[in-house]
Amino acid sequence: MSEANIEGNAGGASPARQEPRHMRRVLIIWIVSSVVVIVIWLLTVQFILPAAGSALDDADNITMSVFTIASIPVAMFVFVFLAYSLLVFKTKGRPTEDGIPLYPRPALQISWLGITSVLCLFLVIWGLFAFYQETSAATTSDTLVVNVTAQQWMFTFEYPQYGMSSTGAQMIELPINRPVIFHVTSEDVLHGFAVRALGVRVDANPGYTTSTPIVTPTQLGPDVVQCVELCGLYHSYMWEAINVVSADTFNAWILSQGGHS
Amino acid sequence: MSSAISATSETAVKRPKLINLLFPSVITGLVLGVAGAALCGWLVNMVTTSISPDQVPNDDAVTAAVYTAWVLFFFIGIGAFNGIFKWGFGRKEPSEAEEMQLAGKDQGVWRYFRYTTDHKVVGMQYLVTVFVLFFLGSMGAFMIRLEQSVPGAIFFNPETYNTIVGMHGMIMIASTIVMVSGPFGNFILPIMIGARDMAFPRLNALSYWLLFAAIPVFFSTLALGGFPTGWTGYAPLSVQELTPGMDAYCFLILIFATSTTIAAMNIVTTVMVMRTKGMTWGRLPIFVWGVVFSVILSLTAFPSFIVSQMMVLMDRIYNTSFFLAASGGSNWLYEHLFWFMGHPEVYVIALPSMAIAAELTAVFARKPIFGYRLMVSSMVGISVLSVLVWGHHLYTSGSENALGGPYMLDTELISIPTGLFFLAIVGTLWRGRIWVTVPMLFIGGMLVNFVIGGVTGIYMADLPTDEILHGGMFVTAHFHFTLVGAMVFGFMAGLYYWFPKMTGKRLNARLGILHFWLFQIGFLGTFLSLFYAGLQGEPRWSANVALPYANANLVASLFAILIAASVFTLAYNVIHSWLRGETADANEWGAKTLEWAVPTPVPLENFEGELPVITSLPYNYGEPLPDLPSTPAPEIDITAVVIETPMQPQGED
Repeated sequence: MSEANIEGNAGGASPARQEPRHMRRVLIIWIVSSVVVIVIWLLTVQFILPAAGSALDDADNITMSVFTIASIPVAMFVFVFLAYSLLVFKTKGRPTEDGIPLYPRPALQISWLGITSVLCLFLVIWGLFAFYQETSAATTSDTLVVNVTAQQWMFTFEYPQYGMSSTGAQMIELPINRPVIFHVTSEDVLHGFAVRALGVRVDANPGYTTSTPIVTPTQLGPDVVQCVELCGLYHSYMWEAINVVSADTFNAWILSQGGHS
Repeated sequence: MSSAISATSETAVKRPKLINLLFPSVITGLVLGVAGAALCGWLVNMVTTSISPDQVPNDDAVTAAVYTAWVLFFFIGIGAFNGIFKWGFGRKEPSEAEEMQLAGKDQGVWRYFRYTTDHKVVGMQYLVTVFVLFFLGSMGAFMIRLEQSVPGAIFFNPETYNTIVGMHGMIMIASTIVMVSGPFGNFILPIMIGARDMAFPRLNALSYWLLFAAIPVFFSTLALGGFPTGWTGYAPLSVQELTPGMDAYCFLILIFATSTTIAAMNIVTTVMVMRTKGMTWGRLPIFVWGVVFSVILSLTAFPSFIVSQMMVLMDRIYNTSFFLAASGGSNWLYEHLFWFMGHPEVYVIALPSMAIAAELTAVFARKPIFGYRLMVSSMVGISVLSVLVWGHHLYTSGSENALGGPYMLDTELISIPTGLFFLAIVGTLWRGRIWVTVPMLFIGGMLVNFVIGGVTGIYMADLPTDEILHGGMFVTAHFHFTLVGAMVFGFMAGLYYWFPKMTGKRLNARLGILHFWLFQIGFLGTFLSLFYAGLQGEPRWSANVALPYANANLVASLFAILIAASVFTLAYNVIHSWLRGETADANEWGAKTLEWAVPTPVPLENFEGELPVITSLPYNYGEPLPDLPSTPAPEIDITAVVIETPMQPQGED
C-alpha cells in the first residue's frame, strides 16, 4: 500500500513528501479510546443497569456488561477509523486527484475474519453457558409454585400449594430467599409475562402453559409484573404490583387471602 | 391533482384529444375502482345478509370484497389489462410506436399519472410515494413521542393510540422496503448496467400501481375503527378484533407483498439478462449487487407474509381456526410465519442501503472499493444466514426451546459478514481523498448508527439477555437504530447523491448539512434515551409511561423535536430545489458508473446511439483520468476508455 500515485495527476504532487504515520497514530487512538470508554462503562454501569432483584437478574446484568466490554473495541475501531479518515483525509472542496488504490491483503482478511469469528463464538458460548446455568435449577419441595393466567387486561395469580387465588388488581406478595417458578398461560390472546427485577420473562400463550426459570428473589420491596406483548386496547394498563416480603409476612398474607398454610 | 397537471401537459403535448389524455389514466382508474368497489361491496352485503341465519351482513367479507374489487377495477380503469385483452383477441404484437407511447413518449408530466412503462417514470413515481409515506409515517412517530412524553395516556384514547402505533410501523416498514429498490432500483439500476429499460416494463408499471392501490386500502382503516395489533399483527388478537379495520392491515400486506414480489422478479431478470456488453458479474457496480440480493431475499421471505395474512383473513371471514387455540390452532404458527418473513425483511431493507454506502464511499474517497469481492461475499453471507434466524423472535415464546442455541449461533454469525462490510467501508475511506459532501455525511452517520444498532443487537440475540429485554423499549430502540439510523440514513445518502440525476436539480447543500445534523443529533438523543428506558424494563407499545421511565421518555421526546425539524428541512429542501434549484451537471460528482455518463435529463431509451461496452469495474480511481466528455457523444462510456485495472491479489480466490 506504499505504492504512490504515479502519473496523470494534474499538478504532479511529489510522491516522496513526508507522510505522517497514519496507521500507527490511529491504532494508538483506537486503543486509548477503547480503554477510556471501557473504564467509563465500568464506572457508570451501576447507574445504567437497574439493581438486580435476584441472582438470575444479576447474572443477566453481568452478561450484558461483559458483552458491552467485548463490543466496545469493535465499535471504537469503526468510530476512530471513520472519524480519523473524515477529518484527516478530507479535501477542501472537490478532490482534484484520486486516492491511492488499496486492496485488502489475504492476511488482513483472514485475521479480520478470525477475530470476528472468535468474538462471535465467545458471545454464543458465553450465552449458552449463562442460559444453561440460569435454567438448569431443578424444582425442590421448597419451590413456590405460582400459576399465572393472563387475560385482557389483567393477570390472575394462583398459589396451588396454599389453595389460594388472587382476584387481580391487588398487590401480590412473594417470599424473599425462596425459589419460585411461574407457570404462565393465557385465556384469550398472546400476552407477555415479565418481571424486570427478577429477570424472568415468558410469553403467555392461549392454550399452552410456559414456565419461567426457577428464580429466587433476594431484594425486599415492591416490583411490577408487566405485559410485554401487545394485547389489544388496554395493553398499556396491563400490569400488577408485586411485593417481595419476609417469610412471616408472606404467610400472614396467604392466610389473609383465604389460603391455608 | 389532475386538472392543473393536465392543463400544463396539454401545452407540452401535441394537442392530443382530451379523451386520449384521460383514458386510460389514474383518473379513470380511481373512478372505475371506486364504482366497482361500491358495487361489489353492495352485492356481498346483500348475499351475506340473506344467507346468514340472523340476517346480519358479514362485515369482513364485505370489506374484503370492496378491497378486491377496488384493486381489480382500478387496474381495469388505468389500462393495465388493455394489452392483455388485445393480445388475447388476436391483435398483432405492439409496434415500436405503440411501445414508445406506452413508455410515455411526448406526454409531458401527465405520463406520471398513467400506466407508463418507462423505468425512469416508475422510479420517480416510487420516489414521490416514498416521500409522502415517510412524511406521514414520521408524523405518526411524533404523535407517539407526544403521548409518551409524560406519564399517563392523556393525549389519545387507547384505540387511537394503538392505531397510530400500528400505522406508523406498517407505513415505515413498507416504505423502507421500497425506499431504495423502488426509486433508485428502478431509475438508476437499469442505466447502471447499461440497459434501455427493465426486462418487463409492463410488470414494472404494475408493481408501482399496486403499491399505489394499497395506500387508500390501508388508510381506510381509519374509517373502519383502526386496528390494535401494531405492525406485527399478531394472531389471535388480529382474529379476535371485531372492527373491519384489521382487514385493511391484511389487505395492505397482500397487495404490497404482491407488488414487491413482482418488482423483485423484474429486477432479478433485468440484471440477469439486460446487462450491456462487457458488464460481467464481476464488473457489476456494488449497488446493483445490493439490490439484487435484497430482492432475492424478498422473493424467499414475502410468500410467507402473504400466506400468514391470507390465513388471518380466512380465520376472520370464514371462521377457520389456524390461530385459535380453542379450536386446535396455534398462535405460534402465526409467529413463525410472520418472522420467517420478518427477519429476512430487515435485510431486504439493509442490503441496498449498505450497498449505497459502499458505492458512494468509493466515489467520495476517490478510491476503488477496498475488497469488491469481500463486499459481495459479505452480502451473500448475510443473505444466506438471514433466512435462518427468525426463531430469535420467539426465544421467550416457549415454542422451540431446543432450537434456542442454533438460532442464537446463526444470529451471532451474521455479525461476521456484517463485520466484513465495515472492513470494506473503512478500508475504502482509509487514505482516500475524501470529499465531504452531504451524502458522505449521511454515510458517516449511517456507520455510527449501524455500529450502535449492531452491537445492541447482540444483547437480544443472546438467550440470557433477551430474557430481560424481549418485548421492551430496548428492542424498539435497537431496530430504530438499524432501520432508521442506518438504513434510512443510507437512503438519504442515495437521495442527495442521485437527486441531481433523477430531477436535473441539485439539492441545496447548506440545507442538506442542516438536515443531517438535526437528524443525527435528534436521532441519537431520542433512541439512546429509549435504550436506557428499555434497560429499566419499559415495555413496548405502551401509551401509559410508568414513572420509572418518565424522564428517559421526556428526553427522547424533546430530542424528537430535532428529528421533526429535520423532516421539515428535508421537505423544504426537496420541494424548493426541485422547483427552482440549481441545474445539476450530467456528472455531478465525477463518478464512473454509467448513470453519470448519460445526459441529464436521461433520454427515453437512456443511451443515445450504441450501448456502452464495459472493460473494468467502475471504481478504477487512482488511474490516469480520461477527459470527462463535455458533450454526450457515442463514446460516452468513460469506463471503457480507462486501461484495465491491474487487480492486486485478493484474498478469497
